[in-house]
Amino acid sequence: MGEDHGSSRHMSASQKELGDEDARVVRVGDTERTNERLEYAGNAVRTAKYSPFTFLPRNLFEQFHRLAYVYFLVIAVLNQLPQLAVFGRGASVMPLAFVLIVTAVKDAYEDWRRHRSDRAENNRFAAVLSPGAATQFPPTKWKHVRVGDVVRVTADESLPADMVLLATSDPTGVAYVQTLNLDGESNLKTRYAKQETLTTPPGQLTGAVIRCERPNRNIYGFQANLELEGENRRIPLGPSNIVLRGCELKNTTWAIGVVVYAGRETKAMLNNAGAPTKRSRLERQMNRETLFLSAILIVLCTVVAALSGVWLRTHETELELAQFFHKKDYLSDDKNSNYNYYGIAAQIVFAFLMAVIVFQIMIPISLYISMELVRLGQAYFMIRDTKLYDASSDSRFQCRSLNINEDLGEVKCVFSDKTGTLTQNKMEFRCASIEGVDYSDITRQQPAASDRIWVPKMPVSVDGELVELLTDGGETEQGRYAREFFLALATCNTIVPMILDGPEPENKVINYQGESPDEQALVSAAAAYGFVLVERTSGHIVIDVLGEKQRFDVLGLHEFDSDRKRMSVIIGYPDKTVKLFVKGADNSMFGVIDKTMNSDVVRATEKHLHSYSSLGLRTLVIGMRELSQAEFEEWQMAYEKASTALLGRGGLLRSVAANIERNLRLLGASGIEDKLQDGVPEAIEKLRQAGIKVWVLTGDKQETAISIGYSCKLLTNEMTQIVINSNSRDLCEKSLDDAISMVNKLQSLSTDSQARVPLALIIDGNSLVYIFDSYLEDKLFEVAIACDVVLCCRVAPLQKAGIVDLIKKRTSDMTLAIGDGANDVSMIQMADVGIGISGQEGRQAVMASDFAMGQFRFLVPLLLVHGHWNYQRMGYMILYNFYRNATFVFVLFWYVLYTGFTLTTAITEWSSVLYSVIYTAVPTIIVAIVDKDLGRRTLLKYPQLYGAGQREEGYNLRLFIIIMMDSIWQSLAIFFIPYLAYRKSTIDGASLGDLWTLAVVILVNIHLAMDVIRWNWITHVAIWGSIVATLICVMIIDSIPILPGFWAIYKVMGTGLFWALLLAVIVVGMIPHFAAKAIREHFIPNDIQIAREMEKSQDSHDATHPEIQLSTMARA
Amino acid sequence: MDTSDSEGDSRKSNNKPKYSKFSQQELPACKPRLTPGTVVVAFSLIGVIFILIGLASLSASQEIVELVDRYDADCVPTGDKVGFIQNSETDKICTRTLTVPKHMKSPIHIYYQISGFYQNYRRYVKSRSDKQLRYKNDVHVTKDCHYEANTDDGAPIVPCGLIAWSMFNDTFAISVNKNTIEVNKKDIAWKSDKNNKFGSDIYPSNFQKGSLIGGAKLNESIPLSEQEDLIVWMRTAALPTFRKLYGRIETDIMANDQVTVVIQNNYNTYSFGGSKALVLSTTTWIGGKNNFIGVAYLTLGSLCLFLAMGFIVLYMVKRRTLGDPTYLSWNRDTLDHRY
Repeated sequence: MGEDHGSSRHMSASQKELGDEDARVVRVGDTERTNERLEYAGNAVRTAKYSPFTFLPRNLFEQFHRLAYVYFLVIAVLNQLPQLAVFGRGASVMPLAFVLIVTAVKDAYEDWRRHRSDRAENNRFAAVLSPGAATQFPPTKWKHVRVGDVVRVTADESLPADMVLLATSDPTGVAYVQTLNLDGESNLKTRYAKQETLTTPPGQLTGAVIRCERPNRNIYGFQANLELEGENRRIPLGPSNIVLRGCELKNTTWAIGVVVYAGRETKAMLNNAGAPTKRSRLERQMNRETLFLSAILIVLCTVVAALSGVWLRTHETELELAQFFHKKDYLSDDKNSNYNYYGIAAQIVFAFLMAVIVFQIMIPISLYISMELVRLGQAYFMIRDTKLYDASSDSRFQCRSLNINEDLGEVKCVFSDKTGTLTQNKMEFRCASIEGVDYSDITRQQPAASDRIWVPKMPVSVDGELVELLTDGGETEQGRYAREFFLALATCNTIVPMILDGPEPENKVINYQGESPDEQALVSAAAAYGFVLVERTSGHIVIDVLGEKQRFDVLGLHEFDSDRKRMSVIIGYPDKTVKLFVKGADNSMFGVIDKTMNSDVVRATEKHLHSYSSLGLRTLVIGMRELSQAEFEEWQMAYEKASTALLGRGGLLRSVAANIERNLRLLGASGIEDKLQDGVPEAIEKLRQAGIKVWVLTGDKQETAISIGYSCKLLTNEMTQIVINSNSRDLCEKSLDDAISMVNKLQSLSTDSQARVPLALIIDGNSLVYIFDSYLEDKLFEVAIACDVVLCCRVAPLQKAGIVDLIKKRTSDMTLAIGDGANDVSMIQMADVGIGISGQEGRQAVMASDFAMGQFRFLVPLLLVHGHWNYQRMGYMILYNFYRNATFVFVLFWYVLYTGFTLTTAITEWSSVLYSVIYTAVPTIIVAIVDKDLGRRTLLKYPQLYGAGQREEGYNLRLFIIIMMDSIWQSLAIFFIPYLAYRKSTIDGASLGDLWTLAVVILVNIHLAMDVIRWNWITHVAIWGSIVATLICVMIIDSIPILPGFWAIYKVMGTGLFWALLLAVIVVGMIPHFAAKAIREHFIPNDIQIAREMEKSQDSHDATHPEIQLSTMARA
Repeated sequence: MDTSDSEGDSRKSNNKPKYSKFSQQELPACKPRLTPGTVVVAFSLIGVIFILIGLASLSASQEIVELVDRYDADCVPTGDKVGFIQNSETDKICTRTLTVPKHMKSPIHIYYQISGFYQNYRRYVKSRSDKQLRYKNDVHVTKDCHYEANTDDGAPIVPCGLIAWSMFNDTFAISVNKNTIEVNKKDIAWKSDKNNKFGSDIYPSNFQKGSLIGGAKLNESIPLSEQEDLIVWMRTAALPTFRKLYGRIETDIMANDQVTVVIQNNYNTYSFGGSKALVLSTTTWIGGKNNFIGVAYLTLGSLCLFLAMGFIVLYMVKRRTLGDPTYLSWNRDTLDHRY
């Protein structure tokens, strides 16, 4: 998705030179000929993944992408071989079948819901022109709409497919669409029907041909031309002439269009592809431990196989007569043939394979599904957290990716967009500099007069002196330029005014709709100063200039693009003069301004711009030029030629724009404030305390960025700033080398002194271009990691991703990117964790993100509280799952040593397959969902506690080894205590097996219970219930008369020895864990432990002084 | 702030998550912690309880009188032991005399103990058909037995399989001070097995007719549910050295009484180097004579008491105020001047 945005979009369009043969040919109203080659998709859509027939194979295929499942499948198949049949058929397939079925049911349910919505969507009705008729539009189901159909849409209806507009109810051909479903932007967009088709009845357009590009995902681009029947001229069609499936027609009575892309080829459907699935770091690390376990498994199997070989060798002569072996087959005719005995070598191989089957659950099959369930539970808590709910946009937290919850607890580096992420992206016009005069004195600000007819919806305060100048000083030079300035603000934009009834009948409220919040602010400001944009059509605009309505022709418009960083309009005045207005970023504008014309003004304006941006304001520079008739005509020809080009149009238009946007006269500059979001400085402070580096990447000027940096406490006065903004590679290298030596000097200085000098790196996009192109990347990295804060200004979208990649490639630090706009998409996808802010700039960032939320400050509870919990819970759960399965396998292994190495299990086969899916699965899932190591208050009060996740203290190789040693010890206790007690006794296999089953289950559950930190009723139910459930299961199994172990549990539970052994096993098994825990918690406590003790004393303090608690609650 | 709130309310705020203690993860919970007190108390308590249990089980075990007499080596002539035992013509009677060291209260259990016999060997332990033993209609279900399943002409062997085929067939006749004492062989098997696992309408057939004799023959007129020796034998032992109940003596035996056992030494443990022994034992709540559990409990109890003392000392030597923020790593860091 990222490549569709920003500058690369234009590049790809101009580089591709497609001929007519590559274009899609649509014959208007003639679906037969359009579709005769059957190459265009119909309009039926299908988001469902499966059909009833393909569900089983496809779902299984997808599930078996997990290597672990293939492993279990291979084992189940092995078990079906008669020589290796360790378990019965049912028991061997059960665990795999169980997890596959649970997952399949989940998938089937989701797909059924998709089927239902597809069906509803496909059976909606659209009005389609019937062939041959002039104006009849009978209703047709959406799925039967085809490319070439002419469709009529009325107000508030959804569009069934991507259509080129032919005519609308508006005489000028304007239609408004809401793209909420497409990109989430709620403002209205204007689309135009071409003048040439506007008046023709739709039936008569048959025979016209549209040639357009092949279907693509770019929702902001479209290139096509229209050839009317009998005319040779090709009329150019662009993005403003197409309306897309999923949008709604608004404020327009009807619109007629011809379908060019249908069904899965529509831009909406092409954009529907989900974000690439990410895997969490814990899951990747887990693979390492899985490999260790596999190695242990192989060792166990090898030992068993080798010992079985040795045993057979030493007992070889006895096998024929030993009653328990019965080697000869006496029924066979050949009296020397053996029954089921293929020689020692074969027996060793069989023993090995059987050992793999018996010990298979060394690799915990239920772990994967447990992790999915746990993440589901964690997602539930994150979504339901009232502290992550944004009231202003009524949006909850969203978990879009369910695979990386626990990564939130390990973040070391946050890359943040500025506009809309740190700030509200609600622009407010603050001040202006016109003709070198600064109008920014706050003392003169006053609310705009309210007695006007036109009231802009966004209130703007105005400068009284400037208002006076505009109304009275019309004849002075200064007044003239001030008027031109505001006229430029009112005209040079793509804003659409929507007029609503005001609170009082005599005045009207104008709602300015547009894609850029900056433009909205500028137009509102112009309106407040008396230059009210009242009406816009494709050809002209109407402006109420100080109470007098005037009509201006819009002769040309060069849209904003991120290469030029400016836009321009060519306006025809009522008095036939033609003027060009340009507005844009200062560095781009000063390149095209004629500085000789009014050099004093230029100097003054530059000074003002600098002071505005130091205040943190976003600045724009406005320039103009009066065009002579000859100049205009020359431009017009070039423009028409460029805009009808089917291919490479973007590049041609840009060069036309560059040709005219020159020698401008500087009018002035504007300062727009973008307010910080609530709680941003506090949030950044908390993140910094938590050891998270915050990098801000912004498209703003350096001064603006620095000033925002100060206001959000990213930069402080103690910091030493390293600024890199150079215009060539050599200069960049030099500044980087200087920076490195400075960093080294400061570090050597600060090793012995107490306070370290914090460093901030400020670097601009230009320098980044040189750095990313060369070997300088490493140097930049060296500087960047030494700095506490990095501020990148004037960066392009792809550079943002490059910066994230700089860190990702060179360190193992977990990165998180947060942004709100389309320009953040590449960065969000590049980072380990991508967070979208559902804000003003549409939903593209959200669509690309893993998590989405309403406010930047939610990052603090998300990382410090939920991230911490998720990480601690998941880490423990994985370790515990390894441990509990290993314990069981070791118990089986010790027994095998006493069965002549023949893989007999005393534990019934049903118990051994139910062990990891039923007996012990629920408590670990529940604990991983609801247990909390620390309370929310503590985690927020001491952000440093987040370091536990960054240092990977919740899951690492050391913990794995410790818990494995514990596992071996406990299995020894479980096996050998009963073994020693029951040596030379009448104990039968089933009874001893039942004792071992219960002992393992109770022991691993008590192990879990000992590590639970907060016991609520759910935990109690899960853990003790699980033990009871196991007992019930064992009793049920032992109540089946045709199983060999019939009634064993009832018998053995009646003996005192059973209970004495169970108690001894539990105590012996738990002593090391308990003692180690007691020592660790008291003598080598970690931060979490100390914080927990503080929490405890806080709690008891609260309990003894309830009134204090109440008052703090009230404050919170 | 108030105005913006009311504005927020007036707009639809139906997405706002509903507050509940569960969804906000604020369910009331208790947070047990390992304070020095709890650790010491836990260890001491476990120590004391374990020592008490240990003493109780040790004394119970001491009460038990157990006589073990291994007879496999003495009851065959030196030379070809396997040949001797396989020969059905030879006289295999063997008389053993034991002296009772202590008064044995009835019931006195008679066990036979076999070692080196892998009743848990995979091909052995699986060689049975529980369906055949239980249901009259399933007598032909011998597939699971694999060995000794059907006769040469295909008739099912009842009971089939290696386990039944290898049934123990030594017999013991016991007399005390030359007075023959009746061995009660009733109710030596589990009641549940007799009632529910072995059919009362299933009679042995074609049993032990093959070319290799594994062990005992069965009386074909007695249903399986009454064949208690078979039922006991088919409760396969968990470990390669095991005992099985042979019968009971319902009279007391005094100290220094001479017990004479006349053994029919039929069972072949010589082919695989196993051993056979006769065991006479009284029982208590702990089962048979078993000093291990008592010793284990006493050891564990002492270990726990020792640990409790150790922890007391440790806690005294290295005191730490619980919940003191100066122990937090970042507070320590500033003292250490790290970086």
